[in-house]
Amino acid sequence: MKSLLKPIFGAATVSVAAGMLCGCASSGVRNPSGVAVTQMRPDEQGFVAGTGVESQDLVAVTDKMWKSMLTVPQIANAQGAPRIVLDPVENATRFPINKDIFLSRIRAELNSKARGKVIFLDRERMATLEHERQMKLAGQVTASADPNVVEFKGADFFLTGKLSGLTTRTGAGTSDYILYTFRLTDARSSDIVWEDSAEIKKQGLEDAAYR
Amino acid sequence: MKAVCGIFAAIIPLLVSSCATRPPEHPVVLTGNIMVDGPTAIEHGPPRDKVLWEYRTAAAAMRQGKFDLAKRYLDDALTTLQGVYGPDPGAKKARGYFHSEAKKTFIGEPYERSMAYIYRGILYWMDGERDNARACFRSAEIEDGDAENHEYAGDWVLPDYLDGLATAKLGGDGTDALKRAQLNCKAGGLQAYDCKANVIAFLEFGPGPTKYATGEYRQELRFHVDPSPVRSAQLRVNGNEYRVSIDDDVWYQATTRGGRVMDHILGNKAIFKNATDIAGNVALIGGGAAILSGNGHDATANEVGAGLLAAGVISKIFSAATTPEADVRSWDNLPRYLGLATFTLPVGRHVITCEFRDNRGQVVPALTKTITVEVPQDAKDKVIFISDQALTPQTI
Repeated sequence: MKSLLKPIFGAATVSVAAGMLCGCASSGVRNPSGVAVTQMRPDEQGFVAGTGVESQDLVAVTDKMWKSMLTVPQIANAQGAPRIVLDPVENATRFPINKDIFLSRIRAELNSKARGKVIFLDRERMATLEHERQMKLAGQVTASADPNVVEFKGADFFLTGKLSGLTTRTGAGTSDYILYTFRLTDARSSDIVWEDSAEIKKQGLEDAAYR
Repeated sequence: MKAVCGIFAAIIPLLVSSCATRPPEHPVVLTGNIMVDGPTAIEHGPPRDKVLWEYRTAAAAMRQGKFDLAKRYLDDALTTLQGVYGPDPGAKKARGYFHSEAKKTFIGEPYERSMAYIYRGILYWMDGERDNARACFRSAEIEDGDAENHEYAGDWVLPDYLDGLATAKLGGDGTDALKRAQLNCKAGGLQAYDCKANVIAFLEFGPGPTKYATGEYRQELRFHVDPSPVRSAQLRVNGNEYRVSIDDDVWYQATTRGGRVMDHILGNKAIFKNATDIAGNVALIGGGAAILSGNGHDATANEVGAGLLAAGVISKIFSAATTPEADVRSWDNLPRYLGLATFTLPVGRHVITCEFRDNRGQVVPALTKTITVEVPQDAKDKVIFISDQALTPQTI
């Protein structure tokens, strides 16, 4: 008798235990104590990641670019600091991004770490600068130099870039390759005096529930 | 028998108490006004439905000319969509036997994801960011890239056409994208690119697809669409008429994706539910028969019968707890058709009239829209978004 009941009750108990584990194990509050704010370095991959352009890519790419740019003879051996104007980067990937951030970081890094080697012209603020000059010309504000003399400088070089991408998406996941190219063009001759690139490939697969 | 009662006494409180820490649901009282319900649901509703409400609210905002609001919601939704890779607790639950598919964070089926990118692309173009608009159109095609039948993979027309147009306007060669668009365009007659055209009008009309479930346990995802009262559209401005090409059918995109991996999972859940139900029935009948066979006087038969009854009840509990229902949450204010017209207007103010026509070619006067546009002096394109559901008149 007992030998008959044992397997039945045993099976029932195992079923119940399995049921409780499977059915409700994941139904509790996720991170019930919360998740503390995690400060991360911008050059490390966080626990939230996609296959697109992320901060660690931005840091890696721009660090490589500004360091590489300083080695070009036209800048390293220039008589006086060359003047550079930023020309918007073209985004040819599948990821909509704030692409100006690349040139902003390159400019900031060069201005802070290679002070005096190059000078960037603030063409983004030309309307404001022109307005200030007009006020000086009209005598509305004081001028420390003759406002009739145009002192806005012309560019020696244009710095620009392009982000190009290749994407593959299959049942096995999504793969994104992005090629970052930046170049410095001589404003007088149109010669490309420097160009460098960086490439990053990422792959990911979403949970089967989304496939 | 005491042992059996003991097991039941232990099971019930455990099953109930083990779920006591389930996050509280957030009931959202809906008013029927999407511009009220959307922000409320996004703010106070279940987090798993946030993207769904962002999609819906963004579409409604675009039809009311509230483009900044649409941008905000789409950007947040697309950020979730782009970070969906890897383990996801909600998705893991959705795959489990005892949680429904709707437990996962909603990001939508591929046609819904593509539409989110298409809308965002239009908004980028409105802001003069052609390259970011192109990026969105490319992502829209990629979202459609893993259709079961490769014939239908990445076969949206408008995103490819606009990818090429943006490339051409940026000084590149958009012919490859144009060829892909022409290949997939069932209606044919896609215009060659006119890079000098400074007005780009996106049109959408007709009710789009929604989801429903079929099958014994509602485990099979299906799509429904109501017939569209509108079949074509025409633009009039300054005495000229401009044809609107109808490039994409959102319902076609919804129904040609083919089977999902999740469909197999739901199928397995349905099989499990059915099997445990049958096993429970067999055990219950067997247990009853065993007890009856002893006329209640055979202790061995009683205990065997009781054991089988217990196993049968447990099996039935498992069956009842199994949830193979397909997720039918839908971006339910999508349009059916997407169209485009490009043309040139001189700098200055113009009044554009959009007439929608039914399947007999008759104008549907109630849907006629009037949009006043200011064509800028700079080289930016004037991008217009017109929906049969849009407010009218609008000035943009």
